[in-house]
Amino acid sequence: MTQRRFIVEPRGLASAQLNIAVPVFSVLAALVVGAVFLAITGENPLEVYGKMVDAAVGSSRAISETLITTTPLILTGLAAAVAFKMLVWNIGGEGQFLFGAIFASGVAIWLGDSVPSALAIPVVIIASAIGGAAWASIAAIPRVYLGTNEIITTLMLNFIALNIMNYLIFGSNSPWRDPDSPQFPQGRPMPDSTRIPEFWNRLDYGILIAIAIALIVYFLIYKTRWGFELRVVGDSANTARYAGIGVSKKILAVFLLSGALAGLAGGLFIAGPVGGLDPRSLVLGFGFTGIIVAALARLNPIAIIPVAFLMGGLINAGPALQSIGIPSATVTMLQGAILIFAVAGEFFIANRIRRPDRKTEDASEKAGAAV
Amino acid sequence: MNETWPIELLAAAMVLGTPLIFATVGEIIAERSGILNLGVQGTMLVGAVSAFWATFNTGNLMLGLLTGIIAGALISVIHAFLSVSLRVSQIVSGLALTLFGTGLASFLGRAGDNPLVGNPSAAVFKPILEGGLADLPVVGPLLFGHDIIVYMAWVVAGAASYYMFRTKAGLSLRAVGEDPASAEAAGVNVSRIRYVHVMIGGALSGVGGAYFVLSVRLVPTWQDSPIGAAGWIAIALVILASWRPWRAIFAAYLFGAAARLGLTLQTLGEPWSNVPSTLLATLPFVLAIIAMIVFASGERARHLGAPAALGIPYFREQR
Repeated sequence: MTQRRFIVEPRGLASAQLNIAVPVFSVLAALVVGAVFLAITGENPLEVYGKMVDAAVGSSRAISETLITTTPLILTGLAAAVAFKMLVWNIGGEGQFLFGAIFASGVAIWLGDSVPSALAIPVVIIASAIGGAAWASIAAIPRVYLGTNEIITTLMLNFIALNIMNYLIFGSNSPWRDPDSPQFPQGRPMPDSTRIPEFWNRLDYGILIAIAIALIVYFLIYKTRWGFELRVVGDSANTARYAGIGVSKKILAVFLLSGALAGLAGGLFIAGPVGGLDPRSLVLGFGFTGIIVAALARLNPIAIIPVAFLMGGLINAGPALQSIGIPSATVTMLQGAILIFAVAGEFFIANRIRRPDRKTEDASEKAGAAV
Repeated sequence: MNETWPIELLAAAMVLGTPLIFATVGEIIAERSGILNLGVQGTMLVGAVSAFWATFNTGNLMLGLLTGIIAGALISVIHAFLSVSLRVSQIVSGLALTLFGTGLASFLGRAGDNPLVGNPSAAVFKPILEGGLADLPVVGPLLFGHDIIVYMAWVVAGAASYYMFRTKAGLSLRAVGEDPASAEAAGVNVSRIRYVHVMIGGALSGVGGAYFVLSVRLVPTWQDSPIGAAGWIAIALVILASWRPWRAIFAAYLFGAAARLGLTLQTLGEPWSNVPSTLLATLPFVLAIIAMIVFASGERARHLGAPAALGIPYFREQR
């Protein structure tokens, strides 16, 4: 009999400690990988990481700025989480985010200054959800009714959305473009009445809206019949069909919900800190970072909130690094490494690895010898 | 108005299509083993920065290309390990590789005291023939006016098709992608085949990335994102090529032409030059979505050639 060095066996339900330990370890392991590359290129990793922590949470100003970046990440994280939970591979968060921003700013400019904030802000925010869902529907409808693979269509839609935004600002005299700045193309400022008010430094109430939506999504998925059916579909579409759940309808609903959440991210971001369709401020990779947030939070809507804060701090550390001569791409590299370790961690959450049990095998060998 | 523009467009499409051929053939090879690799974009970038760095420091073009190939193969081991050994979601794993590769390439291009960024390449691939056959009308620019890599792309696509459909190893590869359990029962090592072909795919992506920064016909200078969205386009091209390597040549040239059309229209004068370039830039992506919906929806993908086990983690029977 050949002695195997390790035994891999499926674990039942992972413990709560493991659910926290694996993401924490993912981040630490990514920091080690980052440190290796920083050291190779002649930097002191500890010094660099110290600067990053300082830039992310080192002052009340830094914390409020990190919270500003957290707002869209909570929503793009939720967008990825609800879709992935049902094995709907919507990786078009980036494009849906941009369409949320395009719809929100378009409606805001159309409303003008005459509508009171109490009405204008909700209208703008709802418009962003509709924008994101509409953009997602281009991939969602073929997926549900024709079986078209959504991975590639959502991905391609990201680039189309990006170019449409560029067209609105750089390629045309659209209503989105600022007519007062013909030399330097930029987004037309949204009327003040459509902007979400600030309450701490530059931080606006968008963060509270994002947290509230995360709680609502949690309730929807874990505490309602609709959410239960959704989880059944995610576990096994066949079981769901036998149970009489309308699988196509569920997939369509989740896909559009996912798009709406990514669109809301764009809406809150543009009605909050940005204030106009400005490509330079919007193309920061919030859609893709949302996938990291969702993976690290293990698709749990509540866990997404702190993880989004962590990623927000990481993104905000980028420019601070640049100012001391270290590539801001350090941040992207760390994000990628975090995601690599987070997916690897899924294996350790799903499986138990142990040494073969020496005692029992020795005992059985002895028993065999005795016979 | 320049009357030779269709020829110029086609010749440029071939140059732009060349890195797409390498990446698409590479992805076809990986997908035929059952592994969907969304890490192509990141792998191409790592190949590009490695090849550029090696050429920059040695002045040797072939050494640069070789470095790009090795780097592409090595970085794709990450995806092979995650998706084959750990059997996690191939989609998230591939995205992770792309994010990491994109960050790593940009980081390496800007790090250190003498960063690569902004520097022209120390050596470049140039057209093999100057004058003579290359000056002939029509066939000159299309068939004889290219550098070695353009022709290598044809050889690689042809060789990959031959390997896949005419050799025993190719048969094993396709068996693993169609039905890994039966292949395993027939004595094929599923894990090894998947590792090897993901790495071959990574090596080819590395060539594609390297070509972007080493071809005199493209932009042989290091910049943060020298390959545009080529890696993502390649994943869509796999479907248009219906998982057959030699068809990748035509699919890649078509997309090369679509990507180039904006510049060509600019040279044609009114009214063509009035078409906004930002909207024309969407053309390859719109084309990809339409092709997906029309040719590869539902069961059609299987008839087209999609491996049955594509994207599904393989669990050996628990013993």
